[in-house]
Amino acid sequence: MLVRFWGTRGSLPVAATASIVQEKVASALLAASGRSFADLDEARAFTRNELDFATGGTFGGATTCVEIEAGDAAAGDPYIICDMGSGLRGFGLDAMRRCAGGHARVYHFFMSHLHWDHIMGFPFFVPAFDPNAHIIIHSGHEDAETALRRQQEEISFPVAFDWLRAKIEFRTLKPGEVYQIGAVQVELMEQHHSHSSFGYRFTDAAGKVAVFSTDSEHKMEKMHGEADVEAFFGNADLVICDTMYSLADSVSMKEDWGHSSNIVAIDLCHGARAKRLALFHHEPVYSDADIARMHGESIRYEELTREHAPLEVLCAYDGLEVAL
Amino acid sequence: MQWSSTERQGCIIASPDGRVDEATAQAFTDHLASSVSLAAESSSRKLIVDFSGLDYMSSRGLRALTLAKRQADTAGVAMALARPNTVMREILAISRYDKLFAVTDTIEDAL
Repeated sequence: MLVRFWGTRGSLPVAATASIVQEKVASALLAASGRSFADLDEARAFTRNELDFATGGTFGGATTCVEIEAGDAAAGDPYIICDMGSGLRGFGLDAMRRCAGGHARVYHFFMSHLHWDHIMGFPFFVPAFDPNAHIIIHSGHEDAETALRRQQEEISFPVAFDWLRAKIEFRTLKPGEVYQIGAVQVELMEQHHSHSSFGYRFTDAAGKVAVFSTDSEHKMEKMHGEADVEAFFGNADLVICDTMYSLADSVSMKEDWGHSSNIVAIDLCHGARAKRLALFHHEPVYSDADIARMHGESIRYEELTREHAPLEVLCAYDGLEVAL
Repeated sequence: MQWSSTERQGCIIASPDGRVDEATAQAFTDHLASSVSLAAESSSRKLIVDFSGLDYMSSRGLRALTLAKRQADTAGVAMALARPNTVMREILAISRYDKLFAVTDTIEDAL
């Protein structure tokens, strides 16, 4: 199983401004002070290996879209995609390239929920215009079709949903059931969020498990219910978890905003004996340096509170691939 | 989890001992609630939670502190955290709970 992150930002897409890029370049030049590079490859190696990620890279600004690659594409196994945030545009273009190489034109989407930042990429999803594509949209919500059609009404977008050429189906899934879809078994769990959200647990034929749990608030008043969440995350090879806020923010000013913290995510993964956690759904006002600091603090908290095997704490960024 | 309470200059000083994790979080929550009630009857209407005996605390303990603070705010009780060890000080900083609570190095500073 390979998990590929196409969009990792929460709530709203963001992009680096000129001054942000200038700061990164200035910091890189300072770090390279006195060094010279024979060619671009040497300079790239310096950027990749010696600069901190917040200087030499970026966590990106596309909203939620995660691809789960499982099975054998050459044998016809379909695409599996979680959510349709603005990161979906990049996935769609890459999928067209892969389809030209023989990949099946079948797309199984699994929707955490239907808020704008999680569906806004669909009008720009090029495979939806492919008459040979088959798109199946799975959701715990019964109103997924309404949400997708509504955002392509003329008042919001010039291309109507009915003009799309792909065969598009909607399927409502139920928590407690186990579904075999493509090369994975899928289970879902209802989560606390405005209009509800759903987490998904994907298991491939080799037994590798990835959990996608975004836009989920773990309420203080319902801590007793977290045993169910830990069971859902149980022994996962990777848990992708909403870690938008600090714990203090999530219980004070931003309580009931529907999101969680790095601290609670680590505790849940510890309780679940999960192997890896990907910090996800980054706060749009956070700079790359802010996210990198949060990542460092999360690693430290994991060390301080560890009682069993180590939990590897990754920080998701647009373009990250995690092989399980 | 061990728990003791004393009164000093009209303030309730609550002293938990051990670690606050999944197994002990409920006891910690219950003791905190009782301590807030006790502080509401004290002359200074102040609860100081002495962290010196705490090894560490998971998010369950931190969130229990928030529930206690809400109870304290409603009852007109001020709450402070005193004498955290270096691990607890780090956890309070990482969780940003040091922005929600007054954290002091000594009991005297919290009185």
